Amino acid sequence: MTATAALTTAGTLGTLYVYGIAPAGIRTPRAPGVAGAEVRLLTEGGLCAAVSDAPASVRARRRDLTAHQAVLGELLAQGPVLPMRFAVLTPDAQALCGQLRSDRAHLAAQLDAVRDCVELNVKGTVVPGYFADLVRRDEALRALARRTRERPGYEANVRLGEALAKGVAREARSAARDVLARLGPLAVRSVQGPVDDEQVLSTSFLVRSADEERFRQAVAERARAVGDRLTLGVTGPLPCYSFVDAPYAPAGR
Amino acid sequence: MTVYSDEIVCAPRAGTLYDVLELILDRGMVIDVFVRVSLVGIEILKVDARIVVASVDTYLRFAEACNRLDLEHDSRSKTVPELFGGPVARTVGKAGAKRTARSLTDKVRDVLTPDQGDDEADDTARDDADDALTERAARPARKRRSDDDRPRPRRRKAEED
Repeated sequence: MTATAALTTAGTLGTLYVYGIAPAGIRTPRAPGVAGAEVRLLTEGGLCAAVSDAPASVRARRRDLTAHQAVLGELLAQGPVLPMRFAVLTPDAQALCGQLRSDRAHLAAQLDAVRDCVELNVKGTVVPGYFADLVRRDEALRALARRTRERPGYEANVRLGEALAKGVAREARSAARDVLARLGPLAVRSVQGPVDDEQVLSTSFLVRSADEERFRQAVAERARAVGDRLTLGVTGPLPCYSFVDAPYAPAGR
Repeated sequence: MTVYSDEIVCAPRAGTLYDVLELILDRGMVIDVFVRVSLVGIEILKVDARIVVASVDTYLRFAEACNRLDLEHDSRSKTVPELFGGPVARTVGKAGAKRTARSLTDKVRDVLTPDQGDDEADDTARDDADDALTERAARPARKRRSDDDRPRPRRRKAEED
């Protein structure tokens, strides 16, 4: 915490905000960086890092999150990039270059692993309206609905509603499993994100750029097939946030 | 207020910031000789963004919709779209549930979705994640008035499978 505080207050004294690491020789991103700072490249040993002067403090503002994303987008458009997580700072250029030098082999291998690939993030949300189909199909639910009508009341309604809510979520989860099974073979790797009762599918796929169109078509095809139960959306192409290892990060990350 | 397209999204899209929030904040490389600034409040923000609708409010909404269904005839009830408030039966349910969750999810989206124009004053106010948290804090009290018990949206885990 004190280290963080010292760094953030040292914003004007050489602290740099790091966006990502790419092979040397690329064009400097034109998009403004976090807090509107100019982005520049630091090159060392065949690699370069996109950086800008760190602002006095970093917060998860919409504008800054977007800037982080925009800079990485420009890098991605030029080739492989290792995106840093939002709000990563390095004490100064020297420390960064030292890191590029000492970790060069590992970083280069990571770049190779995402070369010609993009991340596509697929999210799926429950379609609540599907409850009507469930009631028509499921005798037990229909019986519960009838009983609720015969003996209406707050508790009865809550019980019925809960059964329906759980039913549509269960159906959506089942559809999500089907979607995953179909999309998995089209991707190099996949990583699951957080899910809950509304967003039952959130998975990132590492997809070869050449296969992106095919992958999208598969998503569209699945969206039609399961659309009554699960609403699908795909976001990307994104820098491969989910497919870069954090070599020295604490365990469990 | 943000307006959503509820149609199934198949076309390529860059995605709203909300869609990639967890990727930018949770994934991506971290090198430990660098320092990751601790973002105060961001954990709460993320949790809020995904707090779910499964509240008594939602249950009652489902029950109400169900009580309008014609249970004896195999035809689609015209009251379903009406209840969930939208023009297309297949997607309106989503819209309705979203509305229920407007307290948090949409608030966060409103703050983070970059489609509000660049009006500087407005932007500055909405820009700040902490503002979303302030709004959030005010919310439970308001909900409490409308429900007798268990009024808050609960954090729910995928518990059924």
